[in-house]
Formats: sequence, structure tokens, C-alpha cells
Amino acid sequence: MIAGKDKELKLLDKASTEFAGKQLAPEREANDKYPFGPFFDTVLQKAHELEFFHVMLPEDLGGIGHGMAGLCIVLSNICREDASLGGILFTHTAACELMIAAGGQDRVRTIASESDDIRKFLIACPVFNNPSEIAHLARAELKDGKWVINGSLEYVVLGGLAGHALIPAKTGNNDAAYSWFLIDSAADGVALSEPVMSLGLHACPAVDMTFHDAPAELVGSEGTGESAFFGMAAQMQLPVAAMSLGIMKGSFKEALDYSKGRFQGGRRILDWSEIRMMLADMVVKIKTGDMILSAACRNADENTPGWQANAAAAAVRIQADACDLTTDGIQILGGIGYMKDYGQEKRFRDAKHLQALLGLAPMKKLKLIEDMIR
Amino acid sequence: MISRSEVKHFANQSPRFDDMICSLPAGPKTPGLMVGETRKVMAIARKFNEEVVRPYALELDRTLHENPDFLPWDFVEKANEWGFYTMWIPKIFGGKGYSMPTMCYFVEEIGSACLAMANLIGVHYLGVSTLNATWNMRLISRLCRDIVAGEKNHTPCLVTLAITEPGAGTDVEEIDLVDKGSVTCQAQKVDGGYKINGSKIFISNGHLSTWHMVIAYADLDKPSESTVALAVKTGTPGFSFGRKENKMGQKGCPASELVFKDCFVPDDLVCMDPAQLAKNKRPVREINMQMIDYVVSATRAGVGAFATGAARGAYEAAVKFASETHVAGKLLINYEWAQCMLAEMYKNVALSRLSYVETNYANGIYGFFREIQKKPMYYYYKMMPVKWLEKMVSSMTEKAWATTWFRKTQFDGQTDEEICRTSGWASLCKFAATDYGIKNCHMALELMGQAGLRHDRGTEKILRDAKLLQIYEGTNQLNRLNLFKCLVAPEHPQAVVFEE
Ligand SMILES: Cc1cc2nc3c(=O)[nH]c(=O)nc-3n(C[C@H](O)[C@H](O)[C@H](O)COP(=O)(O)OP(=O)(O)OC[C@H]3O[C@@H](n4cnc5c(N)ncnc54)[C@H](O)[C@@H]3O)c2cc1C
Repeated sequence: MIAGKDKELKLLDKASTEFAGKQLAPEREANDKYPFGPFFDTVLQKAHELEFFHVMLPEDLGGIGHGMAGLCIVLSNICREDASLGGILFTHTAACELMIAAGGQDRVRTIASESDDIRKFLIACPVFNNPSEIAHLARAELKDGKWVINGSLEYVVLGGLAGHALIPAKTGNNDAAYSWFLIDSAADGVALSEPVMSLGLHACPAVDMTFHDAPAELVGSEGTGESAFFGMAAQMQLPVAAMSLGIMKGSFKEALDYSKGRFQGGRRILDWSEIRMMLADMVVKIKTGDMILSAACRNADENTPGWQANAAAAAVRIQADACDLTTDGIQILGGIGYMKDYGQEKRFRDAKHLQALLGLAPMKKLKLIEDMIR
Repeated sequence: MISRSEVKHFANQSPRFDDMICSLPAGPKTPGLMVGETRKVMAIARKFNEEVVRPYALELDRTLHENPDFLPWDFVEKANEWGFYTMWIPKIFGGKGYSMPTMCYFVEEIGSACLAMANLIGVHYLGVSTLNATWNMRLISRLCRDIVAGEKNHTPCLVTLAITEPGAGTDVEEIDLVDKGSVTCQAQKVDGGYKINGSKIFISNGHLSTWHMVIAYADLDKPSESTVALAVKTGTPGFSFGRKENKMGQKGCPASELVFKDCFVPDDLVCMDPAQLAKNKRPVREINMQMIDYVVSATRAGVGAFATGAARGAYEAAVKFASETHVAGKLLINYEWAQCMLAEMYKNVALSRLSYVETNYANGIYGFFREIQKKPMYYYYKMMPVKWLEKMVSSMTEKAWATTWFRKTQFDGQTDEEICRTSGWASLCKFAATDYGIKNCHMALELMGQAGLRHDRGTEKILRDAKLLQIYEGTNQLNRLNLFKCLVAPEHPQAVVFEE
């Protein structure tokens, strides 16, 4: 739907669908065992080789410049099969967008061209937090003309995997504005927890980080952290919605397929009209999600006035729908749906997990109205 | 103003007064001591939560994440030590004889701290209730005494209900569906007993239990009329455990496959079969449904209580988080929107609880607990020393007439309206409370954001655990249809259920 008649986007659509079907679907349950099973490095590397991590980045920064629509297509297709990889792609892209919004384009360009090793290339970021909502941020100060960071930060996504981490820290007293800093995850003074066991996105792990005079690089100019975050968040609402939409599509397909083959009361459960009603409700959510997301993507890529409010509204709607839909996605499979051997329980967890991206859900809603009445 | 016959006439108009409210007529009949008893049971559960459940809940869940084959014997032994597997076993069989409705308050408490652990205790009584609902006094006595002995010997003796099959989940819960379904677990009559072949799946506590109440069918083409309830002991030749499921939540409570290959069960372990029901008033098919209804009317209230626990656990996590977390410079609990959200969650807890309380009032005057909750009976059992009870009542249970008498009063004595009322309310409670449970988990996670996603904060586990409640004991869809069948369709003779 988002690709419309655009040939390049159609190709991207095809490539990412194929990749998800071949590389992600068969090992979905095994990959979800992380950290109690191996990490899916090979798949990640393949996604890197297919340049999925460069989709949204403009060409002058070393990307392939498919814009918001391109990223949403890739994320939606990937999350249909396994949202963990979607989470990795999202986090890295959000970090790049943050750096760009903070004025660190040059640094993004070097990172984009820096490494063939995906782990070194990736940027970790606390994408579930809006730093303005956090009570105690880490602190950065200049020592001998170089920035160092002290303090701690919870739930830095990809923290244990990525070569770099983009960290918010305050440079003055408590009331001061914060800034974004890039750190080398392996540097002295940076301590990482074990991967934090979480509800969903098991193979997109997060860690808690502690800093003791950890060397850091200021991204852009001091005190611009909040405006950079909101600049990034306004855009990245759409990929969040695309991920939720992908999960919905996967859940619907599995429910529909199952209902055709499962018999109760002497007929396919698909032939009980209550099951059809549930499936119909799913279709309504998916179709409306598809429409509002593609309209919102178009608005964003064309910079239509008010596109930010459209994007935020689309995300709130689609994320909430994904939580409801995946609940029914389990329900239609009955007891089987609750088991780890099938994708439905994972989709249910992942949908809820994604709803927490970019800050508290109710605060994101309030921001929408605040921006409108400002 | 209005004559007696008019009162009767108008009160019987739809919705009938008796269907609308069960607590009002039940109130005056309820023994006053039950208040203190309930308070005590709740306190015991809270103490157990503090000492055992809370310190271990996350660790157990994490252990199962790492090793899905782990069996929580340590917890079951602890619960056995605390006497929980005999708490709701009648005193005449050596149990502690707490009245059944108190169990719901108990599992709400435990469930508010860990649903898997609440199930490790509560599901035992699903098995016991099934046994009780056959009203086979000899076997009830035998198995209950085994459970009591298990407590004394420190070797927990748990009971399961095994009814679900690979090809039949919803179907086995409903007599109108089961004949159209594809059940395969057969109990074939042979000399001196039955031979069972087939398998049962998703059986809670399977690997941990000693006795299994197995529902099988003599005639696979007519299961509704040939249902056989058998007590099968772990270790019986021909019976083995198959796979143990790897679930999304309630990880601490195993769901097991039971496999039967030419498993011989002697006549003296047959709890109920068509031959035993020949002298009862209703046709066998209807008694089989009545038996299921007796069980689920009690246990769906129990699931409602688990769900109330889940709703409460989520609410408590949210309120704690809100009262200690600053968001954008202000304590979260002081945002008006957060206060309204917390009030909504509180309401969901309260309404869920009311739904199981009301259902148990229905069970108290129309259903399972009717006899035992009559004041003279209640006080007799409460006040009599166990030794006396043993002397006067226990020997009776061995006599065949005791079973006949109980089946006469319980099966024949319950009217169709009473079956509908208890079953309909139980379904209402089941799907209302479990939907509220899920709703509260969603709200808590929305309020907590990233913090709620972390295993170490405990809230995400509640969502994973609670989802099961919408599925087992009949999916919420089946329960909606059962409510319709029991409380709506009787008023509309043109309505047919399960026949589209
Ligand atoms: C963890 C776990 C523990 C369990 N514990 C036990 C236990 O201790 N003992 C036991 O015996 N069982 C147990 N169960 C089984 C449980 O009761 C069944 O899973 C449940 O009844 C649903 O059956 P099913 O899984 O076969 O789903 P199905 O019956 O196959 O249902 C699939 C879907 O079809 C729908 N459906 C089916 N028929 C109809 C219809 N006529 N009209 C409309 N919709 C319909 C259902 O609502 C559901 O959405 C457990 C299950 C789980 C997951």
C-alpha cells in the first residue's frame, strides 16, 4: 500500500518481504530464545548487506535515500515475521535521525561508511525513553578539554551489541537542558549490565549502562538534546506504526490460516460466525492502519503542513490496535496460541513492547494536543 | 398496591429477579462465621505471599525461561507444608474443611503476587471439584484421604482434570458440540474395568500430580451419552506423560500431555459412567452436562478470582510506580490523567471481584455449595471435632447408598433454571473478570513505559500470565455463548445455540 506506484519502493517491498519470509520466519521461535539461546548474527549481517540499515538515510550521508516510505515498508515486512530485527533497525535509524537533528550529520556520514561489521556499525540508543521524562539523567563535564560522562542510564537498546551508543546527558545543574553524546561502548569507564530480560523483542536486547568518567563525544551543540529528540520522535512515530502494522498482518495471517484447518463442533472454526467476526475486526484494523499510515508517510515525505500531528495520531491508533488485534490473534488459536512454538504469543508481546517506544504512551498523546494548542 | 400473584408475575418477567441478583436472597442464608473464615483465609494467603510467593515468583519465571523443562517441586512442597492442598478438602475426609467460596479470595491474593503459583495450588481443586461433581462418595473419600496422607508424609498428592484433547478443546466443554467434534480418547469397557487409549493435552499440573480425573468416552461417535470419568494414578501401567508445553506465561505451572496406551482402570476407580446413572431422573447426556456445569460454575468463579488477582497485581504495580516516579519533573501520581487511569484500574479490580462473589452466592443457593452452606450443615461440620465426624459420617461414605443419595439430591434435586443460573453467572464472571485482568495489565504497562517492560519489575509477567485466563476453562468466546445459552436463550424459544 505505501509503495504505491513507485518502482523503487516496490522493489524494496519485494526484497524485504522475501528476506523476512526466508531468513526470519523459519527461525523466529529459536531466535526469540535470546539471551538464553544464540544471537542471530548471520541474519543481522544479511540485513546489513541488503542495505536495510541505509534505507532512510539521505544519499549525501551515505544512505540510499528511500525516505520515510522506504523505511516503513521494510519495517512492516520484517515485523510481520519477527519484530526483533525491526527493533534493531528502528533503534539504529532513530539514533542516526537524532544525530542529524542535533547537528551531527558529519558523524553519521562517517559511521554509515565506516564498517562492514554490523555490530561495530550499529548505534545503541535508549529509544524507549523520552529523556525529558526521566528524573535523573547522567551528567557530562569537560575534563582537560574532553567530555566525560558519569551516572547511569536504563534500558539502552542494543547497548550490549553496538559499537557506539548515543546517550543523553546534562551538562549543567539539574534544570539544565540536556545534550546527546556518542560513546564507544567498549571504552574504559563504560559498564554494561547483562541483557535486560523483557516482555518482547528478545533478540533486540537492551542493557543498563553505568558511566565513570566515560569518554564521550558531544553530538551537535550543547543543550539541544530536547529539540533533537522531538525532531526525531516526530518522524519516527511512523516507523513505529509501520512495525505495529506488520505485526498485525502477521498475526492475522496466522489466525486466518489456522481457522481454515482447525475443526471444532464438526466444522472449520472459520465457519463459526463469531470467529469470522473476530477476523473481520482484524481486517478493519489492518486496512485502516494501512490507509492512515500510507497517508501519513506521504504527508511526511512531502512535508505537508501538520504532518507531525498526523504521524503521531497514526502511531497512537495503530499501536493500540496492534495490542487488541494480537490478543485476538492468540485467542483464535485457542490453547495453541499461548505456546512458544507458534508466532502468535510473540506478536502479542512484541506489539505491547513497541507501544512503549519513544516515551510513555499517555505522555505521547498529551504531546499531540499540546502541539496543537500551542 | 400490588397483589402477591402480581409480584410473582412481574418478578418473573425478563430479566427474572432470581437471575438478576443472587447475593440478596443468599445473604440471610449465609452462615455468619464465613466472614471470619474468609478474613482468616485471606490473611493466610497474604502471609504466604510475603514469605514464599513474592521472594520466589520472578526467579521461578526466569528459571523456566532458561530451562522450560524445570518442574517446581520446591514450591509444591512448600504449599503442601503450609497445608494448602487439603484446605478445601472436607473435614470428614481429614481435610481442613474451609468453605469453598473462601478459595476465591485466597487465589485472588496469591494471584495478585504470582498467577503461576496461584495455579499450582488452585488447579488441584479443579481436579478435586471434578471428582466431587461425580458425587461418587467412595472415591471422593479415597482420593481425599490420599491427599491428606500426602500432606502428612510430605509427599504432595495433587489432582488434575484431564478433559482437553488434541482435536477437541471447546467441544469437550459443551454437550451440544462434543458429538459433532472429533474426540479420540476412548474408554473401552472390558472385564473388571475400562481400557483407555488416546491422549489429553494442556493438563495443568500434570507432571506434578498423583491423581488424574480423566474424562474419556466409551463410544467415540456418541461421546455425550458415553462419558466416563476415571481416576487414574500416576504410575499406572499404560499411562505416561508426554510433552510439557513451553508457554508464554504462567511458566511455573506445567501444562502436560497425558498419554494412554491400553491403560487398564479397574471398576473401583471409575468415578462415573452411564451405567451408574441409570436410576437418575435426567437422561445420561444431560447429567454429563450438569456434571460439567457443577465443576465450571465453581471453577470459572475461581478463574475470575485469578483474574481479579491479575488485575490487582497490575494495579498495585502501577500505583507503586506512579507514586515513586517523577515524569517530566512531577510525580506521576499527581497527574490528573494518571489518577483517572488508576481509578479505572481500581474499578476493574472491584468489579471482577464482585463478579466472582456473586457467582459464588449463586453456587451457594442453587449449585455446588448448596448443601454444605446450609447453616445447620455448616455449623455441624465446623463445630464437630474431626474424630466424631470420622466416626459418624466417614463409614457412611463407603456405602453405595451414599453415592445414590448424593446423586439423587444433587443431580435430580437441581432444577434446569438453577443449572442455568449458576452456569450463566460463572461464564459472565469468567469472561468479564479475565477481560478486566488483561485491560489492567495493558493500562499498567502504558503507565510505566520502559520500566514495565522489564522482567525485573514484574509487571510484564502479569500480562503474559493473565492472557491464559481468557483461554482455559473454555475460551471467553465459548463462555459468552454459554451465557447466552443459559441466561438469554431460555427467554427466547426461537433461539438456537451452537447450530448456525
Ligand atoms: C496453559 C493451559 C492450561 C490448560 N489446563 C487444562 C487442564 O488442566 N485441563 C484440561 O482439560 N484442559 C486444560 N486446558 C485446555 C483449555 O481448556 C483449552 O485450551 C480451551 O478449552 C480451548 O480449547 P482449544 O485450545 O482446543 O481451542 P479450540 O477449541 O480449538 O478453539 C480455537 C478457537 O475457536 C473458537 N471456537 C471453537 N469452537 C467454537 C464455536 N463453536 N463457536 C465459536 N468459536 C469457536 C474458540 O473460541 C477459539 O477462539 C489448558 C490450556 C492451556 C493453554
